[in-house]
Amino acid sequence: MKLHTHIRNILGAFAVLLALTVAMPASAQQNTNPQSQSVTEEQLLRELNKITGRITQPNQTLSVLEQPAGREWREFHQVTLRWIAAISIVGVLALLVIFYLTRGMVKIEGGRSGRTIMRFNGFERFVHWMTATCFIILALSGLNITFGKAILLPIMSAEAFTAISQWGKYFHNYLSFPFTIGTIMIFLMWVGGNIPNKMDVEWVKRGGGIVGKDHPPAARFNGGQKMIYWIVVIGGAAVAITGYILMFPFYGTTVSGVQLAQIIHGIVAALFIAAMLGHIYIGTIGMEGAFEAMGTGEVDVNWAKEHHKLWLEEEMGKGSSARAKAQPAE
Amino acid sequence: MARMKFLCDADRCIECNACVTACKNEHEVPWGINRRRVVTINDGQPGERSVSMACMHCTDAPCAAVCPVNCFFTTADGVVLHSKDLCIGCGYCFYACPFGAPQYPRVGNFGSRGKMDKCTFCAGGPNPENTAANYAQYGTNRLSEGKLPLCAEMCSTKALLAGDGDIIAKIYKERVAKRGYGSGAWGWKTAYRETIAG
Amino acid sequence: MLIKRTEREARRGQLAVALAGNTSGGMNRRTFLRRSGLAAGGLAAVGALPLAGARKAEAGIAPAGAKVTTTKAICTHCSVGCTVVAEVANGVWVGQEPGYNSPINRGSHCAKGASVREIVHGDRRLKYPMKLVNGQWTRISWETAINEIGDKLEAIRQKSGPESVYWLGSAKSSNEGAYMNRKFAAYWGTNNVDHQARICHSTTVAGVANTWGYGAMTNSYNDIRTSKTVIVMGGNPAEAHPVSLFHLLTGKEEQKQNFIVIEPRLTRTAAHANEFVRIRSGTDIPVIWGMLHHIFKNGWEDKEFIQQRVYGMDDIRKEVDKWTPEEVERVTGVPGEQLKRVAEKFAKERPSTLVWCMGATQHTVGTANVRAFCILLLATGNVGQGTGNGANIFRGHCNVQGATDIGLDIVTLPLYYGLAEGAWRHWSRVWETDYDWFVQRFGDAKMMGTSGIPSTRWFDAALLPKDQVAQKDILKAMVIFGHGGNTVTRMPKAAEGIAALDLLVVADPHPTTWAVLGNRKENTYLLPAATQFESAGSRVASNRSFQWYDPVVKPIFEAKDDLEIMYLLAKKLGLEDKMFKNIKVTNNLPLAEDVLREINRGGFSTGYCGQSPERLKAHMQHQEKFDLVTLRAPKDAPAEIAGDYYGLPWPCWGTPELKHPGTHRLYNTTLHVMDGGGTFRARFGVEREEKLPDGTTRKVSVLADGSFSEGSELKDGYTEFNYGVLKKLGWDKDLTDAERATIEKIGGGPDKSDGVSWSTDLSGGIQRVCLKVHGVMHYGNAKARANAWNLPDPIPVHREPIYTPRPDLVAKYPTLPDAKAQFRVPNVGFSIQKAAVEKGIAKQFPLICTSGRLVEYEGGGEETRSNKWLAELQQDSFIEINPADANDRGIKDGQWVFVSGPEMPEGKVCRVKALVTPRVGKGTTWMPFHFAGWFMNEDQRSKYPQGADPIVLGESVNTINGYGYDPVTGMQEPKAMLCQVRAA
Repeated sequence: MKLHTHIRNILGAFAVLLALTVAMPASAQQNTNPQSQSVTEEQLLRELNKITGRITQPNQTLSVLEQPAGREWREFHQVTLRWIAAISIVGVLALLVIFYLTRGMVKIEGGRSGRTIMRFNGFERFVHWMTATCFIILALSGLNITFGKAILLPIMSAEAFTAISQWGKYFHNYLSFPFTIGTIMIFLMWVGGNIPNKMDVEWVKRGGGIVGKDHPPAARFNGGQKMIYWIVVIGGAAVAITGYILMFPFYGTTVSGVQLAQIIHGIVAALFIAAMLGHIYIGTIGMEGAFEAMGTGEVDVNWAKEHHKLWLEEEMGKGSSARAKAQPAE
Repeated sequence: MARMKFLCDADRCIECNACVTACKNEHEVPWGINRRRVVTINDGQPGERSVSMACMHCTDAPCAAVCPVNCFFTTADGVVLHSKDLCIGCGYCFYACPFGAPQYPRVGNFGSRGKMDKCTFCAGGPNPENTAANYAQYGTNRLSEGKLPLCAEMCSTKALLAGDGDIIAKIYKERVAKRGYGSGAWGWKTAYRETIAG
Repeated sequence: MLIKRTEREARRGQLAVALAGNTSGGMNRRTFLRRSGLAAGGLAAVGALPLAGARKAEAGIAPAGAKVTTTKAICTHCSVGCTVVAEVANGVWVGQEPGYNSPINRGSHCAKGASVREIVHGDRRLKYPMKLVNGQWTRISWETAINEIGDKLEAIRQKSGPESVYWLGSAKSSNEGAYMNRKFAAYWGTNNVDHQARICHSTTVAGVANTWGYGAMTNSYNDIRTSKTVIVMGGNPAEAHPVSLFHLLTGKEEQKQNFIVIEPRLTRTAAHANEFVRIRSGTDIPVIWGMLHHIFKNGWEDKEFIQQRVYGMDDIRKEVDKWTPEEVERVTGVPGEQLKRVAEKFAKERPSTLVWCMGATQHTVGTANVRAFCILLLATGNVGQGTGNGANIFRGHCNVQGATDIGLDIVTLPLYYGLAEGAWRHWSRVWETDYDWFVQRFGDAKMMGTSGIPSTRWFDAALLPKDQVAQKDILKAMVIFGHGGNTVTRMPKAAEGIAALDLLVVADPHPTTWAVLGNRKENTYLLPAATQFESAGSRVASNRSFQWYDPVVKPIFEAKDDLEIMYLLAKKLGLEDKMFKNIKVTNNLPLAEDVLREINRGGFSTGYCGQSPERLKAHMQHQEKFDLVTLRAPKDAPAEIAGDYYGLPWPCWGTPELKHPGTHRLYNTTLHVMDGGGTFRARFGVEREEKLPDGTTRKVSVLADGSFSEGSELKDGYTEFNYGVLKKLGWDKDLTDAERATIEKIGGGPDKSDGVSWSTDLSGGIQRVCLKVHGVMHYGNAKARANAWNLPDPIPVHREPIYTPRPDLVAKYPTLPDAKAQFRVPNVGFSIQKAAVEKGIAKQFPLICTSGRLVEYEGGGEETRSNKWLAELQQDSFIEINPADANDRGIKDGQWVFVSGPEMPEGKVCRVKALVTPRVGKGTTWMPFHFAGWFMNEDQRSKYPQGADPIVLGESVNTINGYGYDPVTGMQEPKAMLCQVRAA
């Protein structure tokens, strides 16, 4: 199943449908034998990817008589999506393992200074963790829908698996709301520092301080973090929008629209998860001193100097003094 | 062993909706759930045809394939059934179904999907007994009483055929031969990967 | 494998039993399957499997341990008469099974028939008697209701006379209920008694009866299976009579029929036609004359048939000559070539039948339309001989044929005896009540012979000044048994009429539109009537077959059988001893069988005399013995039905003991009269005096010429029989002593009895002697009349609708002149047509508004719109509009629109949904008529008694429909009206 084929099919269907409706009344005047040119299924299916007619009930979803595109969606869901998800997620995991084994943890070269500086305030951290927690549960419950039948069902009873999946579905549906709010907050909170600029190009060229030992200068958010930021914002928006289409189906979409939404949702989510694995890695075992940024919110000045030199300078310039770690709390 | 199928003869179907209300009546299907429906193609134009559609009980059913919790099963008669105890109402079977058969009651605060409901070929659910509990979930099991789906039994023009695939195909072929034309067995190619000439 | 069939005991289902029954009935399973049992086709497979088990008591919703019994009932909706098989447990109707044994439906149903079980669950039924107290519905007891209604009726009677009370009955009553309703009006003392046939096929009855004798479908649904050409004109049976399509489509396939639909609209029926002719609404006569033009021009008419059996065809030729293909196309819009093709097929590929419904009848020219249809059949020799031909008039409600015959009608006593003194005397004898007593009840013998007010005009009779209504006083009260208020045109006027009444009584399973229109505050009563599934009786399907039905369950809530309600009211009015003299009454419920026996005793005119309850019950019991095509039971069937046609379709002559088999096809000369054969009825004398161009006159025989029924002793036309004729022929010696004694008693002595006729002879002797001994038809053997000289238009002529979209044609084809008192009220159609042309109404309201049925709903729709399984399928009233017209008005499919008509109050509109579809041609719109509860954009839901409001409410097309009445019957004009549509 190729995404573009699907989209093309849907657009094509509209075009043919339009042509048919425009062309019909004229022929209706001519022909006096209503039975002679009775529509056949095959002819319709050749012209359109689904057969739609008139139905007396207000629920227009029922007016789709046949949509063989369901088979393509099935192929996508059962094969394509599984491969995409498996390759991206397992692939990233494998890469991270290899990377960790070869590069190890990126240390603070200058060692810890003992002085820290506030990087993320309480509100920012709350938003981050709310979104992150939701994300993890959404990811797991989502993966269960795609892979659970193959992985979990063989090792438990059908009833137990249904119970897990049912709860998974509830969590997936309800946690989508805080997740969406979190994504919006993230977008608003940090959009200022995440507009890409020339420095990011330089930063990437120099390996971002992860590959190799170079530490290209960066403002509050370096090129890598900006990438994560935009993945979260755009990916989050994509999964949220498509997710809500799936949750409230047929408000303005037909089954084709829902299928497309699910395809986007599945692919984006798989890539999103893979990307977030990288983010989690860097934020935890991949880099010394990084976790504190979201943990306590305060990072070591030396860490900041190495990774966010420009930001540190700016913060210092503002007069916000770094605190000696040894000092007791006031 | 019989392989149960539906066949709607579009040259006979007049969109009288008897199949729809017969189904509602037999299984007391609630408002908003349509196990069967009639769709009219090319409405009001020469060549107009109406087709009664429900679950076609496909060979290699797509709903069963995509179900994340494996709640579907196919009986020895080729009837595709599902367990409402296992269904989680995810909606995937609806996306995959070529015939729009799966239906979902709206439940909960914001009308999310409840457990899927669809045509059972009047064969009840996982438990074949006609008990009150089974009736509430799936409706009656007519097949076990030697009766066929009521929609087809009550069809006003005998357009909707239900029963063993070979026999209904034969009846349809005889009709096509007699009348000299036919508009095909709607949905058969998609559902059963075969078709009947005409 | 999850279904463990092998663990169950094997037992075949009902269907299998039905099949077995068919085998012994002469049809083997294979033919059965091929012919009809397509669903059953699969059963062969099921049956071959080791499966099945009894339907357990706890099955479905049957309570545990309950015994499930099966009852046969008849569908309560349309005139096809489908058998309903009901499964009942502990008095609850728990399941519905297909009635495979019925030759009428062979298990089939439409949406309505497949959902009838809901009716007795009755979520939205009227549950107990109610009355309006200061505008609020208040529960009352039956006793209070009957007492108050009775007192108020008597008060009105004292003040304004009996004619001020209108008894509106129902086509959904059983024969017995309808008969008792008619009888009630007679005992009350008025001819103001009517029912739905007025707005349904009154013009058919008048037109057809005036042509060849009886006002009914000549053949049957089943018989159409043998036709070669079928024209459906002004009907959409796929929605109105879906199960008839079982027969039509099978016939179409097996006979390779020409299946032609002539309609303004590409209906669901037309979609299955192999020729569709789109006409302008209201131009049926030009279309028929256009066809006859080609037929006469090319000599395709059946000359021998016309010579032998038709009077006045030359007069038709003169009128038809005017309708050249060019003029036909100018008026109707149908190209000459297409009409020629259709005409040739109809005339040459015989047998041909013409099917029509309300599209033909509901016009100011309804009777003339029907007459033109009959003339086409006569010209092509397609009636009254063999099979597969005839006027197949599809009636509407389930017992509209019966209720019409029974005379729930303003112009006749039961069974078309009319209102003349002879008719009153006949029924006085049957009812054993003095003729003079009736004169005293009416207060005036003249009024006894005067036709009543049609149901289409009751509100005019309630609103007009006293001097314009030709009776003692205007209408003061309506007593309505089962009749919607939204099926009659000019609803804004009807609402005023309802408001003006002193008393309104509605006996119905549902409150109906009557309960919410007119903002009444007091003197309004609703009585919960039982449905047909809660009562017993007989009904007559469109093909004239009688079917007996027993109650499936007892009346639900506080509902009562129609007969019981009438008995209670009669008792209150002190009429019960006289009215129910020969009828057994138990716990206030008259015995339906006894009522039918009384009908049999008096029903000789129409052959309602042979259908005893015992015979009808035997037919229901042995349904499977009757052939699907001929409707006949074989000679070797059980004695009580052997040789009978299913349901003893009337006329079933003589007493039940004569064992006349009924008449499947009317006027059929190819059969012996004791086999259901017949001739055209000698109803209009022996000869007619014709005026010649030179001013002289000549007498022309109207009796048949060289044509007679099979095996007849008289080999030519003959007059109708009475005792005198019998004596002249020396056939009186064939009468038994008892028969002779009865005849002479009726005549008042041996010398005074020559005038006792085949229809007034209560012994049935004259009929027996004619049919059985001499093989002749007692009603005579005449010619059918192409020229019906007693009608306003003896030769049908085209007349434009009152509100026509073609004002340019009005000068040439105007409607008939105004009449001062037509059925007691003025008919000012001509003045209105003239004013409409002058005012340019067709410019303000440029779209034709025509109307019809939906498959899901029936009639006024209260019952079906209250049925959750049906209501879900049609949730809004709508108007069909052509894409071009919609585009001009910026209207999109599915959006709300405002529709207005020329007679609606200024500024008022109806709010409905637009259904943009090429079903209707440009310039035409179509609306279903079943909706009510919204009235000119006002939601009236709160006005229904709580919990008895139908699920679906909507605007009725009859709010838009305006003036227009057929002069012969008072038929309304809802099929060719004008309207305007704009986006809401």
